[in-house]
Amino acid sequence: MNMPPILDAHALLGREDHLALEADELLRRMDAHGVETACARPLGAELIVDHRAGNDRVLKSHPRIRGWATVNPWWGSRALEELNRCRDLGAVGLFLHPSRQGFFPTDPVAFPLVERAAAFGWPVMFHTGTYLYSDILAVAEVARKFPRTPFIAGFGGFTDQWFELPGIFGEVPNLLLDASMIWGEAIEEIVRLHGEKRVLFGSAEPRNRYAVVLKSIARLEIDESARRSLLGENARRLFQGP
Amino acid sequence: MKIIDFHTHYDCRWFDTVLMDEAQFLPGMDRLGVTIACCSTLMGFHEDCRRHNDLMAAKCWKRPDRLIPFATVDPKLGRPAVEELDRCLSNPLFRGVKLHPVCQSFAPSTVRETMIEILKCAARHGAPVMFHDGTPPYASTFQIAAVARWVPEAAIVLSHGGLSDYVYSAGQLLRDLPNLYACYCAPRSGDLRWLVDAAGPDRVLFGSDFGAGTWKVLAERIDSVMEAGLDPASMEKVLHGTAERLLHLQERPLK
Repeated sequence: MNMPPILDAHALLGREDHLALEADELLRRMDAHGVETACARPLGAELIVDHRAGNDRVLKSHPRIRGWATVNPWWGSRALEELNRCRDLGAVGLFLHPSRQGFFPTDPVAFPLVERAAAFGWPVMFHTGTYLYSDILAVAEVARKFPRTPFIAGFGGFTDQWFELPGIFGEVPNLLLDASMIWGEAIEEIVRLHGEKRVLFGSAEPRNRYAVVLKSIARLEIDESARRSLLGENARRLFQGP
Repeated sequence: MKIIDFHTHYDCRWFDTVLMDEAQFLPGMDRLGVTIACCSTLMGFHEDCRRHNDLMAAKCWKRPDRLIPFATVDPKLGRPAVEELDRCLSNPLFRGVKLHPVCQSFAPSTVRETMIEILKCAARHGAPVMFHDGTPPYASTFQIAAVARWVPEAAIVLSHGGLSDYVYSAGQLLRDLPNLYACYCAPRSGDLRWLVDAAGPDRVLFGSDFGAGTWKVLAERIDSVMEAGLDPASMEKVLHGTAERLLHLQERPLK
C-alpha cells in the first residue's frame, strides 16, 4: 500500500545544551528517511528570549521546513506582535515551552497567546513531561477552556507522565499526542483507546532520530490506514487551519 | 553484537498489570539478541523485599548463565535493610542492587545513615547500586549523584541517565564523579551521544526497562543506540563492555 508523504510535526532547530541542528542537516535527514515536510521549533536562547531570531530560523530556512512560532508569554504585547509577524511568514501553529519559558500553562499570562492562536486557527503545542511547569494535566486544563482549538502534548509527557496519557486523552477530545519521544507501546495504547486521529508523527530530531521513530511506528499493531493518519494525514489536516 | 541489558524488570505483575513469565521473558531477549539481563523486581519495591529477593533468585537460578538478579531493600527499615542486602549479596547469584526512591518512598537524604551503610555493604561485595533517577522530588538526578559522593568506593548507576530533562546534567555529573555511571534507558540517541562524549563509554551502559515493557521497548532502545553515531569501540562498551566490568564477568563468569 502506498504511504502518503511523511510529515514530521515536531523537529528542533538551533542549539541548546548538547543538541544542535541546522536546516541543511535536517533536510539531509529528511531526505534519507522519506520525510517530505518537517515542522520545526527553535531551541535554546531562540526558544526562551531571542524569539525573532528563532522564529526566523524556522520560518525562513527552506520551503520544506515549516515553522512553529514561539514567544515567551512574559513578553506581553510584544509577544502578540511577534505572533502576528509569524503568521504573515506562514507559521503552522504556536509552540510554548512552560519549563524553559517560565510559566504554568494555566497562568493568565499565557492566555492571550492561546487566544491569538485560536483566532488564527492554529494548533497549540506545549512541551510536556517536565515537572513542574510542563505538567500535561495543566495543558489539559487549558485545552478544556479552548475546546475548539487543538492542543498537542509535545513529547507526549516523556517520560514521567506517560501514565496520565490514556485517562487524559479520554477526557479531553481536543488533545493530541506528539509521538516524537514517547515509546511505541504508549502510542499504540492511545490509538487503541482513542483512535489514530489523536496522534501525530514527530521526530524530535536532533534529540531522537527519524530511523528510531519510524521503526517504532512500523512496529505498531495498527492497520495501514491508521499508520497513514499518524505519518502525515493528521498533521496535514491540522495545519490547514480552519 | 553481544548485548547486556542492565535494566530489566522480571516480575509477574506491576499492580494490576500482568507482566511476563518465563516463557515470554527469555524469548523476548532472544528476539533482540540480548545475551544477559540484569533483573530487578517491581512489586518488591512496594512489598516485602526479602520475599521478592528470594523469588527473584529462584527465577534467575533457572538460567544463571543469562539472568542476573539484583536485590532490593527498603532503607526506611534501617539496620535490617543492610542485613538483608548482606544476605543477598553473600549469594554469588546476586551481582547488583536496585533501589527506586519514588516507588519505595524515600529521598536518599531522609535515610542517609542507612543509605551509607547500604552503599558500603554493596561496595564490600563489589556490587553496583542502581537508583531510579530523573524524577523529583525523591530521585532527581542530582539527588542520586549526591549519594555517589557519600561513599566514593561504591559504584552508583543512574538507572535512566537523566531520563528526560536531566540528561545534560547527568553528563556533567558523570564527568565530575568517577564512581557514577549512567544506564542508557529511556533517553534518546542525541542524549546517548552526549553522555558518551561527556564521560566516555566506560561510564555508560545499556538498559531497556524490558519486562515493564514488551520486546518492542527493547527494540526501540537498541535502535536508539544504533542511531547514536557512536564509533564501534564505544558502542561495544555501551552494549556490554561497561556492564561486564561492573558485574565482574571476567573474574567471575556466569555459570
